[in-house]
Amino acid sequence: MITLSGTLTLHTERLTLRAPHPRDVDAFIAFYATERAQFTGGPMTERQAWNFFGTEIGHWVMNGFGMFVVTHKGDDAPLGIVGHWYPKTWPEKEVGWVLFDAKHEGKGIAFEAARVCIDHAWTALKWDTIVSYIAHGNDASVALAKRLGAMLDVDAAQPKPDSPGYVYRHHRGAA
Amino acid sequence: MTHPVIPVIDTARLMLRGPQPEDYPNFKATFASYRSRFMGGPLNPYEAWMLYAAEIGHWEIRGFGMWMIHDKVTDETYGMAGGWQPAGWPEREIAWIIWPDKAGKGYALEATHAVRKHYYANGWDGAVSYIDPKNLDSIRLAERLGATKDAGAATIDGSDAVYRHPAPGALVDSQLAHGIEMEIGHYADPMFKPKGWALD
Repeated sequence: MITLSGTLTLHTERLTLRAPHPRDVDAFIAFYATERAQFTGGPMTERQAWNFFGTEIGHWVMNGFGMFVVTHKGDDAPLGIVGHWYPKTWPEKEVGWVLFDAKHEGKGIAFEAARVCIDHAWTALKWDTIVSYIAHGNDASVALAKRLGAMLDVDAAQPKPDSPGYVYRHHRGAA
Repeated sequence: MTHPVIPVIDTARLMLRGPQPEDYPNFKATFASYRSRFMGGPLNPYEAWMLYAAEIGHWEIRGFGMWMIHDKVTDETYGMAGGWQPAGWPEREIAWIIWPDKAGKGYALEATHAVRKHYYANGWDGAVSYIDPKNLDSIRLAERLGATKDAGAATIDGSDAVYRHPAPGALVDSQLAHGIEMEIGHYADPMFKPKGWALD
């Protein structure tokens, strides 16, 4: 019997981070159809994105943690997904972030969500290391990683050695 | 967050349960092998893990999905069978995969017959199986299940053949249903010889 261990919800001043739900699948597919998804494995076809959404849910079952859907407090509409990501073959555990729509950028939403996830990873999940894998050219995410106090680690192992990217390493107490 | 309770299905030799993290190694071994060539494989370890997680997520999104097939006695896994309808699938599918070293023992027949019965008892009025035309073992199994090729049905991407399963009514007390039960019975007990029936 499947029981999702990720019924956990995190809260920040303005945001709610909850587990992904089937009702989020359309927003997820819509984002992955856009060029905005180019730095996170997209753009994808509807079929690919649907499967990937299934993977987001299954990740919770496989690992006991996963990516949260981020919403404004009191509004269930998904703004993006932020959280903990560690698929098989990933060299290290990651905190990652995606905002579905450019109109939500520049308001500190990803920062606020990523910061609570980093804190949760250190304190509740007891992770020893945290990295963020960022594609070359994704300047907005590099800026956010730096704002979170992460530093480029050029010696770190790459999750996809065939298409290397930046590895930003988070440090306890930095964010 | 609500999540579907995945029912456990009992058959003569098998127990079908929802996919669990600890069942993953067998899945990976099969999807890393040539065996998976008709199901989108072979996959590298990363892709196989992502697909396995998606199999679990499918249950959550659709409310139905693929069961892990276990030996009732030893709990060993033999493959997966169940309902499958990711985005782009024209209809609900009955699908199966058996680990390569467990083929030829009738496990797929026994498991798919049971899951089809389960879904038919829970509101499905039919199902199809999308099969690569070169996948002769699966075509043969579809036919043993009473499915017939439906040349007019929508395919996934044009490269697959659609086998349409008999409607629920055609499996109630019919010659087809008895034939399937008898074949399963024979696998479960090779000495099984029903009275008055000529075997082969």
